[in-house]
Amino acid sequence: MKRKLFCVLLCAAMVSSLLAGCGGGGGSSSAAPATPASSASGDGGSAAPATDGGSGGKTYAIVTKAAGNPFNEKVAEGFQKVIEEQGGTCIVRHPEAATADAQVSVIQSLISQGVNSICIAANDENALQAALEEARDEGINICCVDSKVNKDSRQTFVNQAGVNEIGQCLMEAVYDISGGEGDWAILSATSQATNQNAWIEAMKTAMQDEKYSKLNLVEVAYGDDEPQKSTDQTQALLSKYPDLKVICAPTTVGINAAAKVLQDNQSPVKLTGLGLPSEMAEYIGDDDAHSCPYMYLWNPVDLGRLGAYTSVALVDGTITGATGDKFSAGDMGDYEVVAADDGGTEIILGAPFKFDPANINDWKDVY
Amino acid sequence: MAGKSGRTLSITQESSWKKAVFSWEGILILLFIAVNILCICISPNYNLKNVLREMPKYLTEVFLLLPMAYLLLLGEIDISVGASVCLSATMACMACNAGLPFPLVLLVGLAVGTLCGAVNGFILTRFTELPPMIVTLGTQIVFRGIAEITLGSGGSISLTNTKQFHAMAGKIGPVPYMFFVVILAAAIYMVVLGKTTFGRRVYAIGSNSLASYYAGIHVQKIRFFVFTLAGFMAGVSAIFLTSVLYGANTTTGNGFEMDAIAMAVFGGISTAGGKGKLLGAIISAFTIICLRIGLGQINMNPQVILVILGALLVLAVLLPNLAKKARSMGIMAKAA
Amino acid sequence: MSEKKSLWKIITGSREVSLLLVLIVLCAIVQILSPSFLTIKSIMDMLKNNSVIMIMSTGMLGVLLLGGIDISIASTLAFSGMTVGMLLKYDIIHNAFLLFLIAMAIGAACGCLIGLVISRGGVLPIIATMGFMYIYRGFAYLIGNSQWASAENLGDFKNFALNKTLGLGLLNNVIVIVLICYVIFFIVMKWTRLGRKVYAVGSNPEAAAVSGIHTANIKLIVYTIMGMLAGLGGALAVAVYSSAQPNMLYGREMDVIASCVIGGVSTTGGRGTVVGTLLGSLILAVIAKALPLVGIDALAQNTVKGVIILAVIILNVVTQRMMDRNNLKGREM
Repeated sequence: MKRKLFCVLLCAAMVSSLLAGCGGGGGSSSAAPATPASSASGDGGSAAPATDGGSGGKTYAIVTKAAGNPFNEKVAEGFQKVIEEQGGTCIVRHPEAATADAQVSVIQSLISQGVNSICIAANDENALQAALEEARDEGINICCVDSKVNKDSRQTFVNQAGVNEIGQCLMEAVYDISGGEGDWAILSATSQATNQNAWIEAMKTAMQDEKYSKLNLVEVAYGDDEPQKSTDQTQALLSKYPDLKVICAPTTVGINAAAKVLQDNQSPVKLTGLGLPSEMAEYIGDDDAHSCPYMYLWNPVDLGRLGAYTSVALVDGTITGATGDKFSAGDMGDYEVVAADDGGTEIILGAPFKFDPANINDWKDVY
Repeated sequence: MAGKSGRTLSITQESSWKKAVFSWEGILILLFIAVNILCICISPNYNLKNVLREMPKYLTEVFLLLPMAYLLLLGEIDISVGASVCLSATMACMACNAGLPFPLVLLVGLAVGTLCGAVNGFILTRFTELPPMIVTLGTQIVFRGIAEITLGSGGSISLTNTKQFHAMAGKIGPVPYMFFVVILAAAIYMVVLGKTTFGRRVYAIGSNSLASYYAGIHVQKIRFFVFTLAGFMAGVSAIFLTSVLYGANTTTGNGFEMDAIAMAVFGGISTAGGKGKLLGAIISAFTIICLRIGLGQINMNPQVILVILGALLVLAVLLPNLAKKARSMGIMAKAA
Repeated sequence: MSEKKSLWKIITGSREVSLLLVLIVLCAIVQILSPSFLTIKSIMDMLKNNSVIMIMSTGMLGVLLLGGIDISIASTLAFSGMTVGMLLKYDIIHNAFLLFLIAMAIGAACGCLIGLVISRGGVLPIIATMGFMYIYRGFAYLIGNSQWASAENLGDFKNFALNKTLGLGLLNNVIVIVLICYVIFFIVMKWTRLGRKVYAVGSNPEAAAVSGIHTANIKLIVYTIMGMLAGLGGALAVAVYSSAQPNMLYGREMDVIASCVIGGVSTTGGRGTVVGTLLGSLILAVIAKALPLVGIDALAQNTVKGVIILAVIILNVVTQRMMDRNNLKGREM
C-alpha cells in the first residue's frame, strides 16, 4: 500500500517538476533568437495587458504557420524587435502542427490572455473565421502577414508583394532563362496552399501575354513540401519531358529539393522560383555547375516589422484597415492601405527581391 | 506479461474508499486536480470561463476517444478516424453549400463517417488475418485522398451559410452545447460498456478472442459493429468540428487518432485489449485538455508541450508497472 | 499439365515468389505507361530516394518479428539528423565517418531507452514508442532551435550521397549502405543464434523463455538496433537531401511498417523474412516513383497509393490462405 501511495506522490511530483522545469525554459525556447521578451511572456503574469497607457504596455501577438521553420522565425524576429522598440509586450506563438486546427487552439488561447492584437500567417484562408470573429468580438485587432485569411476575418493583410507582381516576376524569369521559348513546369508545395495557388494563377494569367506565347507550361506538380516527394516529382518531370527547359518552384522546400536533383545530375534544365537564400546559396550561379541562375524572395524580417507596425497602428487607432488609411512604419517609411483582389484590404511590402550570384553571398547569412 | 496485468488489482482486500482512491481512476482524479491547481498558479487567465471557451476544439477529440476505447478494449486499433473526420466534414460542408436542409446536412456527415467505419469493419472481418493498424493505415490514405480529390485544387471548402453551424457552437451561459453532448455520449458509452451484455462481450473478446468465439459470441459481428461505431463518432466529431472551423480542408482532423489513443492509454486502457475502464479514459482526456489549455496560456513552446505529454504517457504506464514489480520482488524476498 | 501445376504450386507455395510476381507486374505496367522507367539511372534514383525507408524496414522486421512495433523511428531519425545538421552548421565536426558514428550512437541510445522501457518496464511497445515519438520529435525541434541546416552548411558531407567510393565506382554510397544492411540482416536472421532467438521469442515467448532464452535482453537488443538504424537513416537523409529540418520524414514510420507488412511480415510476431521485407519496400518505392511518372492526376495520387497498399496486403492474405490449403492437402495425401 505504501508503494501505491508513493506512486501517487511520484506522479504528482513528476508533473509539477516537469512543468516547473519547463515553465521557465519553454518561453525562452519558443523564440530563440531574441529571448528577453518571450521569456517574460513565458513567465505568465506579464502576458495580461497592463494599463501603462500609450502604445507601451499593450500586448501584441504573432502566430506563425508552424514551428521550426527559419522563414517564420525571421518574420517573428522582425515583429518582436519592432514591438519591443515601441515598448509593447510581444507574444510569439507557433502552432503545434502546420494546420488550421492547431491555429484555432492558439487563437483561443490568445483570446484568454486578453492580447490587444493578433497578427497571423494563416494555414487556411477560411477555417479560422469563427475563432477570429470571436477575437474581434473581444476587441482584439486582427491583421495577417505572409498568408491571408478571408476578408471577413481580418482588418487588413500585410502582403509581402502583390500577387500579380510575383506572377509577373516569375514569368519574366522563366522567359529570360528559357530564352523565350520551350517547355517549362511548376513544382508547387501542396495542392491547397493558398498563396502558392494564387501565384500559380497569377503566372497563368501573365502567360496570356503575346510575349510568352512560345512558352509551354507542361505540368503543375505537387511535392507537398516534403524533400522525398519533391525529389520524386522533379525526377518524374525530367524523365517525362525531355525537352523541359525551366522548372519554376515558388516554395522554399520544393526549390531546394529540385535544385539538388538538377545540380547532382548536371542537368541542362534550369530552375527559378522563390527560395530562402541561406538554403539556396549552394545552387545559385551563372555557370552550368549551378542549377539556379537566380530566384526571388522578400525580406522576412521586414515583413515581420511591417506586420508589427501595422498591429501597433491598428491598436492605436491610427488606421482601421480601411482603404486609403496611411501610417508611418518607422525607418521603413510610410505605407498606405489599398484594396485587395478579394474585396478586403492589404498593405504591400514592396517588390520581390532578386537573389543572383552577385548578391547571394551577402544574404546567405542573413536569412 | 506485466503490461497486460491490470493496475487495479490489489493483493489484499482493502476498505472500499482506499480502493477507490488508489485505483488508477482515483490517481487520475488526483492528477486532474493537481493539473488544475498548477494551471491556476502559472496562468492568471486560467479560469472557468476561459477554459470552457477554449474547450470545444479539444472536445471534438473526445468523441473519437469513446469508440477508440472500445476498440482498444477489443485489442483493435483504428488510425483512420482522423481521415474519416476529414472526409465527413468535407462532405457535410459540400451538402450544406449545395443548399440541403440542415438536418440532411447532419445526416450526410454522419452517414459518410459511418460508411468509412463500415469499410474498415468490412475489410477486417472479411480478412481476419490482417492487422487493423495496417488496414486502417491504408484506408486513412484513401479517405483523406478522396477528400483531396473532392476538394480539388483549392484543398479547402468554407461554408457559404454559417448560420446553423454557428447556432450549434452556441452556449448555455458559459458552457458550450458541445460539452453537454460529450458528457451525454460519455455516459451512454460508459453504461453500455459497464452494464450490458454487449459491454461484457467487448471485454471477453479483448481478453481472449478465441475463447469468446467458442463461448458463442459473434466476434466478427461485434468487431464490425465497433469499427462502424468509430466511423459514426468520427462523423459526430466532424459535424462539431465544422461548427468550430466553418469549413474543412485536407489537413482537418490530422493527428486526432493519435491524440485519442494517447488519452485512452493514459486513462489506463491497455492496447492489448481487455483491460481498463472508460471512466479513466474520460478523466484522462479532461486532464490532458486542461494541461494543454494551461500550458498554452503561458505561451509554452508547443514542442515542449508534446515532450511533456509524451513523457507523461510513458511514465503513466511505466511507474505502476515498476511499483508492481518492486512489490512482487518484496513479497518474494519475504517468502524466502 | 503437371508442369503447369507445379508452376502454380511454386507461385502459391511461397510468399516471396508471389510478391516478386506483384513487383514484376507493377514494373511492367509502369514500363508500358512510361518507357523511361526501367533505366539504370531511374532505378538508381529510386533506390537512393527510398534508401532511408528501406534501411529502417530491416530494423522494423526485427521489431515486428518480436510481436512489437516501433512508431518512434521517424522522430529518432529527425533527432539524429538534426544533430548531424547542427554539428555541421556550427562547424564542430566535419568528418563524415565520425558524423555517421555519432548519428548511429544517438539512434542506438534512443532505441536502447525504448528497449529498456519495454523489456524492463513491461510497457506495451505501441504505448512506449508513441510516447517517445512525441519526445524525440520535440528534441529534434529543440536542438535545431528553429534553424535548418542547408546545403551550404553541410560542406563535404553531402558529397557522401553523390560519391561511389564505397561502391568501388559502380554503385552510389547510399545504395551500398542499403545493400550492406540487407546482407547483414539476411545473414544474422538466417544463420546466427541471435536471429533464430528473435524468431523463437516472436513465435512463442513463453516457450523461448523456458528454453533458456533471455527474452528481455533480446527485446532490448532489437529495439536498440532499430534505433541505431533510425539514427543511420537520419544521417543518410541529411546527406541525400542536403538539408536537415526538424519535421523530416514526419509520419513516414507508417511507410516503414507498411513496407514490412506488404512484404509478408506478420505484426503478431514470429513470421517474416528479410527477402520479403526487401520486396515489400521495393513495391512501395516503385509506387512512389511511378505515380508521378504515369501521369495520374496529382490530386488522385494519394488515393491510388492507398488503394494499391490495401490491394497488396489483401492479396497477401489470399495467397497465405492458398498456401495453408495446399499444405493441408499435402498432409491429407
